[in-house]
Amino acid sequence: MAATLPVVAEDDAIAVLREATPFGEASPVVLSRIAALARPARYAAGERIYTAGDAADDIFIVASGRADHVFKPEVGAREPLKRVTRGGVFGWAGLLLGQTRRLATVTAVEPTEVLRIDTEALVALLESQPQEGGQVMARFAAMIRREFAVPELLAQVRRLSGPLTEEMSSLSLTMYRLSLWLKSPRPYLMLIGFALFLGIWYLAVEVWKLPRFREMPGLTTVVKEWFSPSPTYGLSLYTEEYYKHIVVSVWRVTQAFFLATVLGVTFGLLLGWSQRFREYVFPVFEMLRPIPILAWVPLAIVMFIATESAVIYLAFLASFYATALNTMLGVQSIDESYIRAASCLGASQKQVFRHVILPGALPFIFTGLQISIGVSWFSLVAAEMVSGQYGLGYVINTSYVMVRYPTIIIGMATLGLVGYTTSALVRLAGDYLMEWRVRELALAER
Amino acid sequence: MDMRPPPPATQTQGHLLIDDVVKVYDPEGAAVLAVDHCTLEIEPGEICMIVGPSGCGKTTLLNAVAGFHDITSGRILMDGEVLCSTDRPRSTPGPDRIVVFQNGALFPWKSNLENVIFGPVMQGKLGRREALDKGRAMMGDAGLSGVEHNYPGEVSSGMRRRVEIVRALMNDPKVLLLDEPYRALDSLTKSVMHEALLEIYYKNRVTIFFITHDLEEAIFLGHRVAIMTTRPCKPKKILTVDIPHPRDYSVLTSKRFRELIEETNDAVHEEALKAFQAGEKEG
Repeated sequence: MAATLPVVAEDDAIAVLREATPFGEASPVVLSRIAALARPARYAAGERIYTAGDAADDIFIVASGRADHVFKPEVGAREPLKRVTRGGVFGWAGLLLGQTRRLATVTAVEPTEVLRIDTEALVALLESQPQEGGQVMARFAAMIRREFAVPELLAQVRRLSGPLTEEMSSLSLTMYRLSLWLKSPRPYLMLIGFALFLGIWYLAVEVWKLPRFREMPGLTTVVKEWFSPSPTYGLSLYTEEYYKHIVVSVWRVTQAFFLATVLGVTFGLLLGWSQRFREYVFPVFEMLRPIPILAWVPLAIVMFIATESAVIYLAFLASFYATALNTMLGVQSIDESYIRAASCLGASQKQVFRHVILPGALPFIFTGLQISIGVSWFSLVAAEMVSGQYGLGYVINTSYVMVRYPTIIIGMATLGLVGYTTSALVRLAGDYLMEWRVRELALAER
Repeated sequence: MDMRPPPPATQTQGHLLIDDVVKVYDPEGAAVLAVDHCTLEIEPGEICMIVGPSGCGKTTLLNAVAGFHDITSGRILMDGEVLCSTDRPRSTPGPDRIVVFQNGALFPWKSNLENVIFGPVMQGKLGRREALDKGRAMMGDAGLSGVEHNYPGEVSSGMRRRVEIVRALMNDPKVLLLDEPYRALDSLTKSVMHEALLEIYYKNRVTIFFITHDLEEAIFLGHRVAIMTTRPCKPKKILTVDIPHPRDYSVLTSKRFRELIEETNDAVHEEALKAFQAGEKEG
């Protein structure tokens, strides 16, 4: 269609579009693609352009002249009458959620030239440019609320649901949140926090040499040792030993965490779902739970002849409690009406479990898993200090015995980093499985 | 109680008879009479509004029909079939009587469309693909196109209610049980929702059992309005609303509407006062 228009008209079209609020910030490329969709039309003074209740097909952008835009009373606009002039946009009802009909009647007051753009064609174009498309839609929403004074309830624009948004994976959502995060002051505050922490350490130990800190390895000593190709005490980023310790610890935590998740979630679901089961088991569970993991060490060594399984058992135990308890609370937290609604809709007991109980408990389960991975590391290191031949706990303990103080700090810092990474992975998995929640939270932040 | 409106000719299903139902709650031996020999007959395709102050026992009645609670005595019949009676105190919940809950019960972890197709897919009545097609079509009819892939938490509360009603209608229920579905909405949204509900109703003509404490809402929507006494709950007065359907919002300003409000306001106010005083005693 655009090909039949003279080139001048298309340039004109771009100029008009640029004056329209929704398109004002669009890039030249997108603008010219939108212009290519535009069909010019002319109305005589007094001519009716469309009537409220008509099918909402085209969007109109005024190029010259004036038109009166009158909302039907049900819309509840503060100013039902609006006069649109050059750059004014009307006929956007098709962009609103659930609207397929015109909300207003528009009449040309004087000879008026407009550009008409098919709503669905525009939406398809915006969907192919998700980032800019989203901005254009957002500007439409703002314009409809502000310039047309349409109540917020009605002025909700459609979500672009092209191939991209429909498949808008949790990954891209996470990326979106990440980019928001980078634009906020939070990462910089975090950096300042780290700088303060390291600065105080440096000053307290190496500059002021405060009484309690005198024996502690200083920041520069630790960093030098950590990054040294030939470390004084035998452990740095350049030694194979270092990675072996990390791998051993990570592998132990992985096994413990995996076991604790499988058994803990199952056990927790049973506890929450069956009152009978809960009555039998829960008191015993609550008795065992407060026993500190370290108190289990002798028994673990007696039970498991191999040290390896004893260490894993100890790391497992603490995780298991956290996961099971939170899963149970998750099941109990589910609103009774969800279960009732499902049974109304003809779901069997098994289907209720699969479609209501499990997803409903998921937020709590993941809270449990966050705690679980933390306590898993905690008890692993404790166990490694008591028995074991490799692992970060073992490193810390032997370094203490052999008076290699900088290596202790290297072990601790590595634990911090690795522990943080595993817990971030658990959070990512949670976001992936609970997209609905990520979106709800994202909306709440806005 | 013979002032029933002529039943809409197209409907043959969805006759509901609540016959002499009594419900006694027995928390720790202190019997509380919630529903007292309540009898109410609802014609197929009728919108019957149940009005009473909060806590008057009207939800108990709805729960008995839906199958969430036992009844103590009496019986409830749907299309001549006994749902529950003194011998079999609890009916089985099923897709022929679907409840739309006070606080909404769309599953937040499923998209709106997934919610809508939940019933037929769970019952194995439709394949997933057919269900998706039907769901999309029904959402479109209810003015909900564009939000299929949103999660309920992403759309307005008014829209969530509409999705929930569509989810119910997907099962071709005989009766729709609405438990103060618009209670949490502001009055502006409410008025939009009322018209939307009527629009859906005119297409489906399903029997509607609608609980509310809002008299205007009741008269605007209902063929009949049953004003309930407060604890124990039973019909105090049954009003036939002789304003012809289809109705739209202009009804609210009509003379007849005002007259009907005046006619019933005293009865409602009296019960509200009783409920208030009873509440003060309890507190």
